[in-house]
Amino acid sequence: MSDSSKNNLKTPKVVIVDYGVGNLYSLRKACAKFADNIVISEDADTISSADAVILPGVGAFQAGMEGLRKRNLIKVVKKFAASGKPILGICLGAQLMFEKGYEFGEFDGLGLIPGKVVAFPKLKNAKIPQIGWNTISAKRNAKSAKNLLRGTILNSVKKDPCVYFIHSYILKPLKQSNILADTTYGGHNFCSAVKSGNIYGTQFHPEKSGTAGLKIIENFIKLAS
Amino acid sequence: MENVRIIPRLDIKGPNVVKGMHTEGLRVIGNPRELALRYYSEGADELLYMDIVASLYQRNLDFDLLKSVADGVFIPITVGGGIRSMGDIDNALRAGADKVAINTYAILRPEFLKEAANKFGSQCIVLSVEAKKTGDKKWEAYTDGGREKTGMDVVEWIKKAISFGIGEVVVTSIDSEGTRRGYDLGLINAVTSFSPVPVIAHGGAGNVGSFKDVILNCQTDAVSAASVFHYQDYSIGELKKFLKKEKINVRL
Amino acid sequence: MSKQKPKYGLPKEVKFCKKCVMPNTRPASCNEYKHTPGQKHGYLDFDEEGICSACRFNEAKWDGTIDWAKREKELIKLLDKYRSKDGSHDVLVPGSGGKDSVFASHVLKYKYGMHPLTVTWAPHLYTDIGWKNFQNWLHVGGFDNYLFTPNGRIHRLLTRNAFLNLLYPFQPFVFGQKTFAPKMALKFNIPLVFYGESPGEYGSKVTIDKKKFSQKEGETPGYELNPIDKKVKPNEIFLGGKSIAFYLKGGISMGDLAAYLPIDYGLIEKKNIEFHFLGYYIKWIPQEAYYYAVKHTGFEANPVRTEGTYSKYNSLDDKTDGFFYYSQYIKFGYGRTTQDAAQEIRNRHIIRDEGVALVRRFDGEFPQKYFKEFLEYIDITEDQFWKTIDSFRDSHLWTKGKGGWKLKYKVK
Repeated sequence: MSDSSKNNLKTPKVVIVDYGVGNLYSLRKACAKFADNIVISEDADTISSADAVILPGVGAFQAGMEGLRKRNLIKVVKKFAASGKPILGICLGAQLMFEKGYEFGEFDGLGLIPGKVVAFPKLKNAKIPQIGWNTISAKRNAKSAKNLLRGTILNSVKKDPCVYFIHSYILKPLKQSNILADTTYGGHNFCSAVKSGNIYGTQFHPEKSGTAGLKIIENFIKLAS
Repeated sequence: MENVRIIPRLDIKGPNVVKGMHTEGLRVIGNPRELALRYYSEGADELLYMDIVASLYQRNLDFDLLKSVADGVFIPITVGGGIRSMGDIDNALRAGADKVAINTYAILRPEFLKEAANKFGSQCIVLSVEAKKTGDKKWEAYTDGGREKTGMDVVEWIKKAISFGIGEVVVTSIDSEGTRRGYDLGLINAVTSFSPVPVIAHGGAGNVGSFKDVILNCQTDAVSAASVFHYQDYSIGELKKFLKKEKINVRL
Repeated sequence: MSKQKPKYGLPKEVKFCKKCVMPNTRPASCNEYKHTPGQKHGYLDFDEEGICSACRFNEAKWDGTIDWAKREKELIKLLDKYRSKDGSHDVLVPGSGGKDSVFASHVLKYKYGMHPLTVTWAPHLYTDIGWKNFQNWLHVGGFDNYLFTPNGRIHRLLTRNAFLNLLYPFQPFVFGQKTFAPKMALKFNIPLVFYGESPGEYGSKVTIDKKKFSQKEGETPGYELNPIDKKVKPNEIFLGGKSIAFYLKGGISMGDLAAYLPIDYGLIEKKNIEFHFLGYYIKWIPQEAYYYAVKHTGFEANPVRTEGTYSKYNSLDDKTDGFFYYSQYIKFGYGRTTQDAAQEIRNRHIIRDEGVALVRRFDGEFPQKYFKEFLEYIDITEDQFWKTIDSFRDSHLWTKGKGGWKLKYKVK
């Protein structure tokens, strides 16, 4: 299944970080549609030598950071993010990329993206956690949206796609420029996707979002080649 | 109103999808992988995948089968059936589950819900309740595939489970399930009226109108059904078109 | 191994069918009028491959041996012969309103255009759900019915004796059930009686081609009517393990016992009454009968699993039922779960491994729910109950250890 030739740029090595909390099987299956060399690993060397890294996520903020810490992966992930190679955080993975998280307490994140992770405010007629499908809108002026999405994971995705969310906490990036897309739930608008250079984060689960989600994953993997 | 999720349910026994009547008389419907793929392509928002004899036979669900089903299906899957330990939850997540549903063991040891929610996150832990009507506005919770009484009042039990941190609850009416005579609106309402977590209604789906009834009358967040989809009374696409026409938000 | 000969003629070596979970200690039916304490029984046959006759019988349902279309043609031909032109009752269907009799009566009436008269011998003690299903059968399904409730004092006495002497509390019901239909067929001049499943389904020595039964010489009935010759004396006929002479001496009249005795077979022959199995003509699948009954008469299964088994739709109407199965468990080493699981394996709803898991989990579970009522019904104390139970255990099957009584042989 995996192409052992490291020089072959057409088959990037995508590493999914296994840090003890996460739905890894479906994510791997989704990635496998677009690349042959998908590895699930908690090994520092494997992660460092990847062409692209995905930080998956199901779980609580503290448990997530603990999972990384126990495996000595915090430095590794930070270093990879700094390398310029593409890294995608999904749901909890995206949340951990921030500076601070406030789920069941106050905890330090990876600090890759300035900002914090906070709880949803009280919502009108909507439950917490948000569990379900919702639309994401590229955070730009509609006229220029298409051009600005080129080269991002939202490239060529149909306008305002419907994707799957399952979360009680939301991303709150400090800089507007880091907001790639936003979503409205229960009358509240929040950031649903972030970008900072090569660093991407989606609050939603592209591997669970049918064809729209698969396109986003395809785009991400393309960034690695 | 947020998008209501339509969730087909696969009851698994051994290698097959089965379907019962009042949780008894399990008939073989078909191949889990084929049905899952069909529902995914038809526009299902999620899948419920429940091994309904795991607790009865006191065995674990087949993680290999689950993997083969999750393969090629890129929507969330909630997996239940004999979940009794952190290891079981971990195995399920690693085999393709996004959420796990727990019934029998949670009633045996409610603290398990708290432990699981702390480790895996609330949104990952779904409470599954099988409810049998015992009186006017009263329902009792059942376990072991609808075969054992517990003496627990459904509403009280769900309240307790919520306090332990579950993220969602799927409520099945044993009286209605398999009958295609409509959801037990009284039961679903009794839960949605207080539940701060999303509620998935199950049991009794009949014509497309019965979905509209339970959504509008009970404000349920998601609706699950089995017989009507297994027996192809109508497709998920047709159902969603109907709901959209009735001004109910669904993902098309 | 016990040094004594095993009781009841139990097979020396206990074996379990390789296909289903039934052991070879399942007794064959016998002439109950000759049933006395310590009676030796015949048992379920196993062939050289270790497969029981019930499984073999069931194989034919599925493997193409039987041409069901042909059988249906035979059924239609038979029914055409008996169908009344004026809508009067033309077929007698005995039953309780359980899924099997609902299926049989409903199919005969609504699919094949017959005019069934249903007849019911009452259970010892009706359960609520049993009564409800019985009523729904008639009111929702739409059938005429005669319900016979035997004299409670006599019925209780016979049940008590049957329990104490034979550990077979169901015997009076069995007598009644068997004798009632022929008597009613005679009384109402209905020469066609339809039972449900063939006894071959459960291992009786009957071929798959057996469509009906009779007492004609040379034929193996498979469903004994056990007629009593006029010459037989009262001290040679036994009810509950005691002779009729015994009851007569105790002040009970022949009239009191008539309900349990068979009708003169000569009368049956004279009127050419035929007894058929619907299971010969139609592929009989109990689970499908359940669905059919739910759909057509609102049949309700038990809300919880029945004590002693995992199943919810079998045999729900008698509070004393559990004690019959428990008695069977004590005498022959297999209980209700074994029976239900074996049937579901043969009808391909569960696999053997699943059956084994169910048997190991539920078989022999004590039917606590109606225990008190049962004791009151047969008027014995709890102490007497357990003493009687223990006296029927054979050391060939049972061993007593620190944890109590345990079966020596367990299915695997």
